[in-house]
Amino acid sequence: MSEIWVLVDTTADGSIRNVTYEVLTAAVKLKEKNSGTVAAVFLGESAGAIESDLGKYGADKVYKIENPGLKEFNPSAYASALSESIKKHSPDIVLGGNTLQNQDFLPRVSALTSGGLVLDAVDLDISASSTLAIKRYRYSGKSISGMTFHDVKPMIATVRPNTFKPNESSGAGEVVQEAVEIPAQDNVKILETKLVPKDRPELTEADKIVSGGRGVASTENFQLIFDIADSIGAGAGASRAAVDSGYVPYEMQVGQTGKVVAPNLYIAVGISGSVQHYAGMGSSKVIVAINKDPDAPIFQKCDYGICGDLFEVLPALTEEFKKLS
Amino acid sequence: MKIVVIVRQTPDTEAKIAANSSGNGIDENGLKWILNPFDEFAVEEAVKIKESNGAEVIVLGIGPDRALETIRTALAMGGDSAIHIKDENFGNTDSYATAKLIASKIKAMGDVDLILAGKKWIDEESGQVPIQVAAELDIPQATIATKVDVDEGAKTVKVQSEIEGGQRILELSFPALVTTERGINEPRYASLPGIMKAKKKPLEEVTVDSVNLEELGLTSENLGIEGSRYKVDSIDIPVINRSLNVLKGGNSDMVESGEVQAVAENLTKLLREEAKII
Repeated sequence: MSEIWVLVDTTADGSIRNVTYEVLTAAVKLKEKNSGTVAAVFLGESAGAIESDLGKYGADKVYKIENPGLKEFNPSAYASALSESIKKHSPDIVLGGNTLQNQDFLPRVSALTSGGLVLDAVDLDISASSTLAIKRYRYSGKSISGMTFHDVKPMIATVRPNTFKPNESSGAGEVVQEAVEIPAQDNVKILETKLVPKDRPELTEADKIVSGGRGVASTENFQLIFDIADSIGAGAGASRAAVDSGYVPYEMQVGQTGKVVAPNLYIAVGISGSVQHYAGMGSSKVIVAINKDPDAPIFQKCDYGICGDLFEVLPALTEEFKKLS
Repeated sequence: MKIVVIVRQTPDTEAKIAANSSGNGIDENGLKWILNPFDEFAVEEAVKIKESNGAEVIVLGIGPDRALETIRTALAMGGDSAIHIKDENFGNTDSYATAKLIASKIKAMGDVDLILAGKKWIDEESGQVPIQVAAELDIPQATIATKVDVDEGAKTVKVQSEIEGGQRILELSFPALVTTERGINEPRYASLPGIMKAKKKPLEEVTVDSVNLEELGLTSENLGIEGSRYKVDSIDIPVINRSLNVLKGGNSDMVESGEVQAVAENLTKLLREEAKII
């Protein structure tokens, strides 16, 4: 094994996303099985002093691919820059969090480097033939597939957030500056970027999520969902039925045609628990259901439940949660 | 202008999935197939552009014989003609080889301005193929689009795209690829006359064999297992194994008003002490 690369995912304000440390932890595990070097790879205009944080989670090296052409995310430019560095250093494995940005540009990297790409892994291992073996959900969460790469380089994969618990492990964090040429991007203009300030954690990365369904019955009533979510610092989601009824926007939808989430705690409120909804949250560690229908399918798919009126249960539970902090 | 819409056939969202006898594919017996839900938005958007600007809409599907039904659905929604790429080794083909095949066919068509596709294939749980097609063609992309405005004169398309924590607006020069998100439009239903007409629309079937590989600029190394970068070894159906500790009322399943406080306290305690999650 030569190098295992881990892409550094950052937020808009430049801080390192937690998923980076989760993926570094996964990379260190692969290294322990098969030796090699774990390298964190930053792409952007300017990295800042990120190496000590990355080293703490096992990065032996930190490649800084810094270029003014990487100031704003453009999938073609990012793919070109990363591919150039991949061709230069020939890492065996390239990993990143399954973020929208990585999903957007890594397919281009796989095409430019003739590498393989598997998205949204929930398990990583080294196969008998020394290639990367991956487990991932397919068919809308209804099946888990085991897949192995052929003998190709690089083997690229994204990892579902909240899958690996970040583990500290010492790495030297030796900085390597990478100069790349980025071809002119005349065919793409970024006209406007609107970041909506978020009061709550993003669903795909949230450690806890409270979602409301048809039973919540109105936009106004969703305040109850937001209140209980805020009492434990959770993200707020919704079922397709709640989105289709117009209570909340589509961005909040969890499920087969919405977001796929994997928090430690998922509280489903007034959600019947269709196959399609479970497909989007079935890999949550603990599922709690609150529903007044004792026959709701969600009660066959949860760890804890309360069969009761959500308009009575939520305020009481919110008060109890508030007492914890 | 010429628009290509890439369509995928997927099992129905309600479908029960089971492994086949070889253990690395799904059992297709009795399975209902549909047009991938996110591709419906792509087809609708193409037809809307055609209705407002005038355009030729070509539906491009890849897959075995059964995929024809899905291609016809897209034609019934308003596509003008279709291409059905059949690869006998399709089942062993990964996203990389699939994208190469689609890209080489689009390249051979020559003058395509816009490629539309759904943001995700719900069977593969991935949106990587259309992006790999864009990369193979060396054209720009805007993914997860919630709004698309074509300026035919300027040969550009303005796209509102979802990104982490917000949206952004991109302007791409033709030719370009755009993947569609739910909410961009309301896909029309294929009407009965539409379905009748679809059967008469031009359909080009491309069976991938040694003869036409050369036309596509490919070799047998680009196909099937040889052209792929990974393979599927196993499919398992996860068993739902949860503790099902549902707190009920004293008199019936339903917790009554007077019992709510005690039940809320009990659940909080369980989450804290048993599940250790809050």
